[in-house]
Amino acid sequence: MFFVKVLEHRIHLHPSFFGAQASAYILDQLYRDREGSNTGTMMIVAIIDVDDISEPKIVPGSGYAEYDVSFRAIVWRPFRGEVVDGMVSSVVNNGFFVDVGGLSVFVSKAMIPQQLKYTVEGATPSFTDGVDQTVERGSQVRLRIKGIRGEMGQMFAIGSIREDYLGPLLQ
Amino acid sequence: MASILDQDFPDEEEDDFNPAPEVGSDDEADEKPAANDDDDEDEPPARSERSRSRPQRDADDDAKDELGTEGLIGFGRDEDAEGEGRNLDDEDDEEDEEDEEDEQDDDLEGQPSRKRRKQHRRNQFIDVEAEVDEEDEEEPEEDDDLPGEEMHPDDLQELPPGADRDDRKHRELDRQREAQFQMDVEEEAARLKERYGRQSRATGTGSAIVPQRLLLPTTEDPRIFRMKCRPGKEKEVIISIQGRVNERLGSREPVRIYSAFERAKPGSPMSGMIYVEASRVEDVIAACEGITHVFMGTKPLMVPLEEMPDLLKVTKEKQLEPGMYVRIRRGLYSGDLAAVHEVEANGTEVILRIVPRLDYGLNEDVNGPMEAANGQKRKRPLVQRPPARLFSETEAKKRHGKYLSKQGGLSGSNWTYQNKEYIDGFLLEPFRLNALQTEDVNPTLEEVTKFATSSTDDGAENLDLAALAATLKTSTANEFLPGDKVEVFRGEQKGVTGHSVQVYGDVVKVKVDPGNGALSGGHIEAPIRDLRKLFREGDHVKVIGGSKYTDEVGMVVRTKDDRVTLLTDSNQSEITVFSKDLREATDSGGAAADSKFDLFDLVQLDAATVGCVIKVDRESLRILDQNSSVRTMLPSNISNKIEKRRNAVATDRDGNEMKSDDTIKEYSGEQKSGRVLHLHRNFVFAQTRERAENAGVWVSRHANVQVVAAKGGKAASGGVDLTKMNPALKQNGASPSPMPPPQAKGRDRLIGKSVKIRTGPNKGMIGLVKDASPDEAKVELHAKNKTLTMKKDMLTLIDPNTGNAIPDGIRSLAMGRPPPAGAGRTPAYAAGGGGRTPAYAMPSGGRTPAYAAGGGGRTPAWKQDAGARTPAYGGGTTYGGGGLGGQTAYGGATSYSGATSYGGGSVWGGGGGGGGPGGQSTWNPNMGGRTPAPSGSKTPAYGGMEAPTPGFNSAPTPGSYQDQPTPGGFRDQPTPGGFRGGNYQTPGSYQTPGGFPETPGPYSAETPGGDDGPRYD
Repeated sequence: MFFVKVLEHRIHLHPSFFGAQASAYILDQLYRDREGSNTGTMMIVAIIDVDDISEPKIVPGSGYAEYDVSFRAIVWRPFRGEVVDGMVSSVVNNGFFVDVGGLSVFVSKAMIPQQLKYTVEGATPSFTDGVDQTVERGSQVRLRIKGIRGEMGQMFAIGSIREDYLGPLLQ
Repeated sequence: MASILDQDFPDEEEDDFNPAPEVGSDDEADEKPAANDDDDEDEPPARSERSRSRPQRDADDDAKDELGTEGLIGFGRDEDAEGEGRNLDDEDDEEDEEDEEDEQDDDLEGQPSRKRRKQHRRNQFIDVEAEVDEEDEEEPEEDDDLPGEEMHPDDLQELPPGADRDDRKHRELDRQREAQFQMDVEEEAARLKERYGRQSRATGTGSAIVPQRLLLPTTEDPRIFRMKCRPGKEKEVIISIQGRVNERLGSREPVRIYSAFERAKPGSPMSGMIYVEASRVEDVIAACEGITHVFMGTKPLMVPLEEMPDLLKVTKEKQLEPGMYVRIRRGLYSGDLAAVHEVEANGTEVILRIVPRLDYGLNEDVNGPMEAANGQKRKRPLVQRPPARLFSETEAKKRHGKYLSKQGGLSGSNWTYQNKEYIDGFLLEPFRLNALQTEDVNPTLEEVTKFATSSTDDGAENLDLAALAATLKTSTANEFLPGDKVEVFRGEQKGVTGHSVQVYGDVVKVKVDPGNGALSGGHIEAPIRDLRKLFREGDHVKVIGGSKYTDEVGMVVRTKDDRVTLLTDSNQSEITVFSKDLREATDSGGAAADSKFDLFDLVQLDAATVGCVIKVDRESLRILDQNSSVRTMLPSNISNKIEKRRNAVATDRDGNEMKSDDTIKEYSGEQKSGRVLHLHRNFVFAQTRERAENAGVWVSRHANVQVVAAKGGKAASGGVDLTKMNPALKQNGASPSPMPPPQAKGRDRLIGKSVKIRTGPNKGMIGLVKDASPDEAKVELHAKNKTLTMKKDMLTLIDPNTGNAIPDGIRSLAMGRPPPAGAGRTPAYAAGGGGRTPAYAMPSGGRTPAYAAGGGGRTPAWKQDAGARTPAYGGGTTYGGGGLGGQTAYGGATSYSGATSYGGGSVWGGGGGGGGPGGQSTWNPNMGGRTPAPSGSKTPAYGGMEAPTPGFNSAPTPGSYQDQPTPGGFRDQPTPGGFRGGNYQTPGSYQTPGGFPETPGPYSAETPGGDDGPRYD
């Protein structure tokens, strides 16, 4: 789900940037550090604006200046039970991986309906029921997130398509 | 039910033998003579009729069985139930008797009473036909449960000649019975129950409302006698007694006991005893006489009435089931773990699956004397028991080919070797139950894995989890922790979910989750055995024990009963474990954190081979080597780990730069893509999450891959790198990182120095540094013959001769500068020390300047600081005086100068109000005397000191450098005497408004100082 959230970020600035340009550097640094990053629970999609840049403080011992920047950002946070769409990034024999934005979701075989069978035709593995539903690399899939594991800098989830209205989307 | 009926059929005989105990719970009528029954057995024709009452009684019995006579072991069980039932029946009968003694057979419930039967018996010879007829009408439904009932041959003989016609009738009856038998037995049972259930309830025994105490034995009940027997043979004895009972059923001397049972467990106080329920001691003796292992020498001991219920108390006994683990107590395999392969029907023997300990004749004495009898070599006592290994036919063939034969079997791994059966490498051998330890087996993981390795190799579910769980069931006390999500999976509250709140003993207090109806939000207490941990799909869990997957962390993908399948974080494989072995994970640690190798480490296998760790197991590692072959190795077989070289660079097929973490793609072959893990010589190890095999790791040659996306792409595309934009840093260009700390190159200068340990258990000890790394040093202690590795910051450099600590010595050594003690070398100081350069060794001579230098060295530092700032603060005029004060201070009185420079003149003056001026005046001459000397000779020296002093934060302070020339200002200070004069006046005027009477004093005192100033010049 997407949210607008006020976040804080602490930036250290090298003394050589002290000067009139400092705040520009700070902003530059902020966008580079945070936009597109993953905090382990959510992903910062875009920074909307910067609310406040604090007075810098010199870090004792290093000479760096420390700025606390508070900003508003659009974040995406997946929830357990949320239904999301994604694109299959790879298919392996015990399930398939789906990229939902920056989140990689694994759909285990146990969470794929029985009728979708793992088959390998040529070099492209897929889960298919042989009629109209095929999950292969590149297919669009709607799934429900079953569990999320977050570490600093990355998220990983498992999902299920074993429910009504879930599974490969018809293109 | 039908089967019970069938089995019980013979019991009917016994009915007759046993004088009805005639004890109801309420003893209404027990006038019945026991002797009556004894006649019965001589009157065979009555039996068919009597049989009619069977169903009813069985129904009763069943009801009673359900009621809980199930404490009995062995054959005693049925009989006992029977006995009780019988009593009540009899009671019933007696009532009947009283009421309607001479009435027709068909009483209200269609149940002929025993008394009546007895009466029939009396005139049976006359009335046989009629009786059968009667039954004909009535019985088709009742009698069906006794199919195949036939006359005993003896009975037939006793039949009178007139019984001929019976035959036809009987055959007819048989046919009917047969037809009945076709009926569904269950339906039958249900019907019977419906029909007679009510009746039995009428007797007050079939319902659950009867209080337990009413069922307690009374004095009228048969008594229980204890007999001694050989310990360990109790079951056998019981079985023999049962055999005897069956054997004598139809004979003239039936065994008149109600039940026999034993409560022995190996090692329990009840071992060596059997219990027989009978009315008379003689019956007990008759039952046991001549049965092996029973000690007839000891008289049967009557168990006191009040102890009888205790004797029959049910203790839940662990039932051995195939797949469970036991330990062998005795023999070659004593202490070994074994899996139950099969349980023999009688429950005294089990067939075990054992990892055999065979030496295949290797220790056999080939030249040993042959035993005459069987031509076998005489066995030597076992020297050492062979290790437990799976059976190997090749080993066996080497020496013992003759003992080996292959068994027919589909698997092809069934062998017979020395008359023992081996399947899949395991020995199958029958064991008596008492040679086994079934409690507290506690199989270890290694032991269990031995059994597990056999079945399949995929490792998926080759542990028989259910069996293991059954074995481990006892150790569940610490399974639950407060906060665990639990589910009640059996009992009344089945299906209730909640969180455990408190665990005490075997009981868990559970706070019920919302959504459980009336219980929601409340607390219930549930025994541990009815609980299991509950996990939902997507839960992040950690395996905490009980299987070889311990410490794996993963997400639950499926739960079925108490089996949970999870997808491991480490290699995306699915494993199935018990919910009791799982716990909600907070960390995401991988398996086997204790291994010194991590997943994806690069390791050196031999001089020419490297490999990448693709799986870390408890004891082994799986490694993909540079030739793409996978091997399983023990960590000890790996020579070393190759540290990842983050800045390693290689060129790909197209000559592009390829670094760690770049995304590459195979040029040919499968065109695998992946992220570079390691670059080693000519090989690149890459990993992709999208491949399951080898944890996604693959290896290729540099020349066979192409860089798809450089991770350095960030650097290339992601805007400006701030650190590189710094013009100041760009100029010299050399060091992109801002001011790296100075590092010592080459041999650590601390080596060979004397140090003192500052903290820790060895605090105060002195030693020599034998070796040093950037932050640690090996110290050889003087006092003890011991070399310690210490952090450098726990050490103090000391002077080897005096033992005095040299403050900050280690750091300055590390900085590549000589320690302050060495500052004494500066020629100027040396000169100061009296020009005795060679006399360094002399402590006093050496030290004095050193200290002086220390003081001197620092003084200007601070002074410099102040001085440096002085102009920056801009108060050039005001500070002129301060500056001067500073200057004077150089003479040696640092603190004074501090005071002066802060312009605290007034305070000072105030302080000196009394004797101040005097002191001041004495001071000034001092100053006057020395000042020229410092300014003349020392200042350059200070200049020299300034440069290396890195401690100054002022160094990088922009602007301060420019102002550095202030020292020049220092020198200038004395020059404008008038200046100063003016300056002094100004503060003076400042102070005056303060209205201090003393104020003028100091100023007047100071003014001469000011006057002195010009004198310098």
